[in-house]
This record gives sequence, C-alpha cells and structure tokens, in this order.
Amino acid sequence: MRLVRMALLALLVAVMAYPLAWMIATSLETAEGPSLRYYGEVWQAGPFDRYFINSLAVAVIVLLGNIVCCTMAGYAFARFRIRGGKFLFLLVLSTIMLPKQVILVPLYILMQKMGLIDTYWALTLPFLVDPFNIFLIRQYVSTLPADCEEAARIDGAGEFTILFRVVFPMLKPVLAVVAIHTCLTNWNSFLFPFILTHSSNMRTLPVGLAMLSQGAHSIDWGHLMAGAVISALPVVAAFLVLQRRIIGGLTAGISK
Amino acid sequence: MATRRLVLPPVAWFLLPWAAVYAAFFVFPFVFSFVLAFLDYNPLNVAGTRFVGTENFARLFGDSAFHGALRNTVLFVAGTVPVTTAAALGLAALLRGAIPMKGVFKAALFLPSILSVVVISLLFKLFYAPGGALNEFLARLGIEGHGWLTDPRTALPAIMAMDVWAAVGYYAIVLDAARTSIPDSLYEAAELEGAGTWATFRHVTFPLLKPAIAFVLVINTIRSFQVFVEVLVMTQGGPLGSTNTLVLYLYDTAFRRLDYGYASVVAYAVFLLSGIFSIVAMRRFRSETAVEGARPL
Repeated sequence: MRLVRMALLALLVAVMAYPLAWMIATSLETAEGPSLRYYGEVWQAGPFDRYFINSLAVAVIVLLGNIVCCTMAGYAFARFRIRGGKFLFLLVLSTIMLPKQVILVPLYILMQKMGLIDTYWALTLPFLVDPFNIFLIRQYVSTLPADCEEAARIDGAGEFTILFRVVFPMLKPVLAVVAIHTCLTNWNSFLFPFILTHSSNMRTLPVGLAMLSQGAHSIDWGHLMAGAVISALPVVAAFLVLQRRIIGGLTAGISK
Repeated sequence: MATRRLVLPPVAWFLLPWAAVYAAFFVFPFVFSFVLAFLDYNPLNVAGTRFVGTENFARLFGDSAFHGALRNTVLFVAGTVPVTTAAALGLAALLRGAIPMKGVFKAALFLPSILSVVVISLLFKLFYAPGGALNEFLARLGIEGHGWLTDPRTALPAIMAMDVWAAVGYYAIVLDAARTSIPDSLYEAAELEGAGTWATFRHVTFPLLKPAIAFVLVINTIRSFQVFVEVLVMTQGGPLGSTNTLVLYLYDTAFRRLDYGYASVVAYAVFLLSGIFSIVAMRRFRSETAVEGARPL
C-alpha cells in the first residue's frame, strides 16, 4: 500500500516537473548546442534587465508600505476599542475576497486623471495596504499578552513608541508571513501593472514577458522560455531555500 | 478664543494609512464604477459623456459576445473546480501519515502555485504547440498530433487542464494542512472497526474536512471566475471566441474599445457571479468557517 502511494506520488512529481523541465531545456537549446545565448539576448533586448529592476523596486516599496501600514492598522484593530471598529474590520475582511476587476476601469481613469499612468506611483500606491496582511497581523497581535505594552504605557511611552519599539519586535513570525505573501503576490501580479503601464520602460517581469509573447516573438520559444525562467528564477530560488516557511506562510490561517 | 488644534487619538493615526489608501483606491473607484455603469463614457466620443440610464444593462442581454464569454467562463469554473477539489482531496489522502521524501513531494506539488500565471501560460502554450511536448509524447505512442489551442473544440479544455495542473497542488497542501488537525485516534478507531480506505475517507476524513473543502471550493471558484491571463497569453480568446472569458471581454471592452461605461456593467456581472457562486458553495457545506483565512490568489 505504501509502495503504491509512493509510486503514485512519484508519477505525480513527474507530471508536475515535465513541463518545467521542457521550459528549461527549450531555453538552453540553441542552434549551436546548449548555451545561455537566449538569456543574454532577452536580458538586454527584452529588456528584461529593466523589467527585473521594476519588479524588484515595486516589490520592495510595496513590502515596506505593507509592513508599516498593516502593522499599524492590524495592531489598532487588535488592541484598541474603536467606535465602529467591528464594522471597519468587516470592511477589511470583505475586501480580501472581492474580485478586484470591478475597480479596474475606474482605477485606470483615476490614475489617468492624476497623470500617474506609467509611473511607480501607479504600480505601488493602490497596493501599499493589503487587507489580508491587516487580517494576519490583527490575529497575531490578539494572541500576544499585553503586559509589555501596559508596562511601557505606565513608563510614559507614547503609542507610536510602544508599537514600533515594544510590539514590532515581537511580530517577526507574522511579518515573515506578510513578507512572503506580499512579495509573491506583487512579483507575479499581472492585471493591474498591465493596465497601469504603457511604456516598455515601466513594465514589470510578468507584463514584459506577456508582451514579448504577443509580438513578433510569439513562437520564438527559446527567447520566450529564457524570459520565463528569468521571471520564475527568484521565486523558485527563494522557495528552495525557504520551502517550509513559504508553504506554511501561504496556507496560514486556514487549518483550524 | 485660542486657535484649536486638531488632535487625533493615536489609534486614528494607526488607521489613517489604511483608510487613505482604502478610500482613494478602493471605495472611490468602487462607487465610481457604479456611476460609470449608467454613462456612455468613451474618450473617443465626440459628443462627450452622457447619462444613458439603464441602457448599458439592457445591452448586456442582447450581447452575444458577452453570452459566449459568460458560457465559456461558467464552463471553465464548472469543469475545473470540482476536478481540482477532488484531485486535491485524493492527493491529500496520499500524503497522509509518514512516508519517505514527503517534503520533496509536497514541494513539487506546491511549486506551480508560486509561479506567475504568465509563466505557466507560456509554458503550456509551448506544451500544446504543434511541435510541443504533448504532441511529441503522443507521437511516441503512435497517436497523431493535434493543434490543441487552434481547434475551437479543444482550446478551452486544454486551458482548463492547465489550470487543474497549476492549482491542484496548492489546494492539496491546504487540505493536507487541515487534515493534520484530525486526531489520529479517529483513524485508529476506524481501523479497529475494520473500515477500509474508502469507508475511512467517507466517515472520518470527509466530514471533518468539510470546512476546509468549503474554503477550497470558495476561493477556487472566485479565482476561476476571474480567468484572464491564461487566455490573453495563450489564445487571445480565440479560435472563434471559444476561449473568450468574462474578464477578457471586460478588458477588450474597456481597453481596446474604450467603452468604459459598458465595461463597468460587465465588471459588475463578474463581481455578482463570483459572489453568488461563493455564497452558494458556502451554504451548501453549511460551514461556520468564515472565509477569513483566505489567501487571495
């Protein structure tokens, strides 16, 4: 029985790995034999170097924004008695699941009127506070004892000092989950960056890759797969190193 | 009278960044899209924007392209979500107990869910291509190749198969995580009663996993109603509109035809549909578990 299960699982791993192996093989297979030629070409002419920097910059800005803003909001929801707080938190929860497409057109018009299309502002501002992160942090803070905060308050510390000096260091585990979720979501995000940018210079990796596949390169598989590998490499590398953390983080809050 | 300074309590400052971003980039666009739905708003219009009442909504009922997109999307959801859920349950069952290399299996299953959908779509565009991996594999078995994405009969099923491939591992791991909370004593009791694999699954695993299954059904349904990148990258909605989906139609209406007013109505249709379906799914499983733990995919 155990052997049957192992065999089934092994077959499954093969099914999962086969297309991925095919992707890597295609990206290396040039007319002159295996080489990294496609990688070099797509990096420079893609221009995937630019896409890479954009993706990285957006991920870092959005991550920092989320860590600061969601910590503040999550802490407030967990610790303060706010008038209408329940309702406000319900708003946070409801936006987690809402299909974001409903705001696609108006958000585009808004950004256009503000003159922000094709800027880092458009790529970062709407995503600085992910309600899912507020939810995660609120849940985590609720499980912490409030003793340290009370002690600091008696010592006369201000609320900001209490949050960022006393509470913040205790949030490391949940902030790791927040970081994983935020980085991954933004690194792979397509629809909004696709709509909110026009020029090649402002594209992120997924958008640049999709654009490459629409143009004259639509069946230029070598270059396309090299681009795909470049886009996937950072997350796959992170996944190989932080596997347990990432799997745990992305299925967080589910099992009861 | 002394000048009054506005003094906000600290908690207001804590909520301010969220409130500002939420108001500017969610509440405002949300309300604005409702207004848009009643307007003929097209930057190419010489006559400018005008109020058209419920005309945009009426258009929806006579729009055959919308109906096609709706049909394809419903087919996509109905064809993928049950298959993915059943397969994920099966996989979670395979992962039960101590088996060697469990970590490797879990990692391999999980891997597709961290990849960008653009990467996966391109990968499968190549996989289904005339000289691609699938046809090559079939040729080895002596089966004639097929233009999977260029035949209107196979294009949508091919994309659906890809979606199952990409999603099943994530949900299997989610269900596996939920299953670890079922006490071993129940399985031991089932074994003592002489229950077989199927009976154990039916009477122990399934009932206790119901909340987790409901959760998986809900988030997968909501996600699947939004299918877009896949068809944009692989088929552009073709051949013959056979893979046109609601969000692709929304994108075409808004950003290719610049018909913002009508696009907002299409957006509301997506919004309502996925909302209704997730409520139905939750009700059916009569689960008390809120959708709270959801990672929006």
